[in-house]
Amino acid sequence: MVTPKHILGTFDEALSALRNNVLMMAGLTERSLERAMKGLFTRDDNLCVTAIADDEEIDQLEMQIDKDGVAILLRFQPVASDLRRVVSAMKLSSNLERLGDQATNVARRARKLNQHPPLSEVDLIVPMRDKAMAMFKDSVDAYVREDVELARAIVPRDQALDELNRVVSRKLIQRMSQERDQLRGYLNLMFVARALERVGDHATNIAEDAVYAAAAEDIRHPSLTASV
Amino acid sequence: MATPEQRVTERVEGAAQPTASSEPAPKLTFEAKNVSIWYGQKRAIDNVSLNILSKAVTAIIGPSGCGKSTFLRALNRMHELTPKTRMEGTVLLHGENLYSKTVDPAIVRRRVGMVFQKSNPFPTMTIGENVVVGLRLNGVRNQKFLNERLEKSLRMAALWDEVKDDLHKPGTSLSGGQQQRLCIARALAVEPEVILMDEPCSALDPIATAKIEELINELKAQYTIVTVTHNMQQAGRISDYTAFFYLGKLIEFGPTTAIFTNPTERQTEDYITGRFG
Repeated sequence: MVTPKHILGTFDEALSALRNNVLMMAGLTERSLERAMKGLFTRDDNLCVTAIADDEEIDQLEMQIDKDGVAILLRFQPVASDLRRVVSAMKLSSNLERLGDQATNVARRARKLNQHPPLSEVDLIVPMRDKAMAMFKDSVDAYVREDVELARAIVPRDQALDELNRVVSRKLIQRMSQERDQLRGYLNLMFVARALERVGDHATNIAEDAVYAAAAEDIRHPSLTASV
Repeated sequence: MATPEQRVTERVEGAAQPTASSEPAPKLTFEAKNVSIWYGQKRAIDNVSLNILSKAVTAIIGPSGCGKSTFLRALNRMHELTPKTRMEGTVLLHGENLYSKTVDPAIVRRRVGMVFQKSNPFPTMTIGENVVVGLRLNGVRNQKFLNERLEKSLRMAALWDEVKDDLHKPGTSLSGGQQQRLCIARALAVEPEVILMDEPCSALDPIATAKIEELINELKAQYTIVTVTHNMQQAGRISDYTAFFYLGKLIEFGPTTAIFTNPTERQTEDYITGRFG
């Protein structure tokens, strides 16, 4: 459904600029996460350094989106779907910034791992990466396309990712007790797994915000919804 | 025989209390059913049914000419003062048909007070006289009663402290915001059951507007308030329920928070977000 033009052209422009910045931030975050993961799996320090450097631009966009969002609230006092768009854009930027931080965490751990001989247990991370990155991409897609069903489906996927993280952590702890001289390496892999688990959490937050933006429905904490 | 003072008190107490003391207070103040209003050939209101809840603020919004003021006026039969007006449907006030042949429009307007867009204190009267003029017209002569009601009404209108030493001065000597509160005090003096407000803040500066808005918030503890406003933010701030009118039709009615975050009708969404026409 095409949204008719606002009677104030400046409002449409401001809303459109806000959305474009969110989309740009999502794109940069995705690139940074992919670089960090590739840096880990291909043992490429340069990619890791680039992923860490990407974070600055992501942080700048977070501040810009907050500033623009506050300016829109102040100048235009949006309501209904416009209000939801501004609020969700500001919440999305906060989650994207934290996703950028997770990319930095993965890249830092990868650089540490790269200083030592490769560990075969890095393969344990692959299914977690696949799930977490797919969740992230789908959550942004759901937000962009206002696809409520896609967004809703992300929430249960986070539980699967959490379970996977528990399994991977158990295996790594087991390996730690078996090979004590690789303790540091296994610990770094556990932090990578933990970062991917957090990627899933932020993707879930974005999906929840996507549902709010599109359908004005708060799907967080379903057990509390009835009492609010 | 009851004195005018007793009659005023009895009427107000009778209205304020439910018929049997054990029954809960009625939840609906107005029930408008299939209301249509014509000015000559022009249909200003088209088959509107709307329930107004008691002791809450209901805001009526919509573009110019959508019939919101006409509907407001139909709630105290004030639209009948316009020539060539015709109405169909019924409006119940606490279950009683306001348009029954046995009902005197003057009594309706006493029970359902009104505050207008532009403050309109009687120019030849003092501040004090302006407040109690309704009681005097009802035959109340007891000065003690009038003085008590004068102070009570001005206090409720949050004006007493500003004018208590100037009650003898002309009502028109007050500022615009004070004059509007004086008009609210005048409406309150006859202790109506409902207060209708037709864009009560549109001629006021932000500070005077804030005082009226705060007053509306305080008054709703005791009164049912229906207000027409062009100011969407104001509707969002002051009202519990919002009704959106367009081309004489009621498009949507519901809790204000719902209307302003997630309206169900596309026309409402387009209007409140500024995408109309």
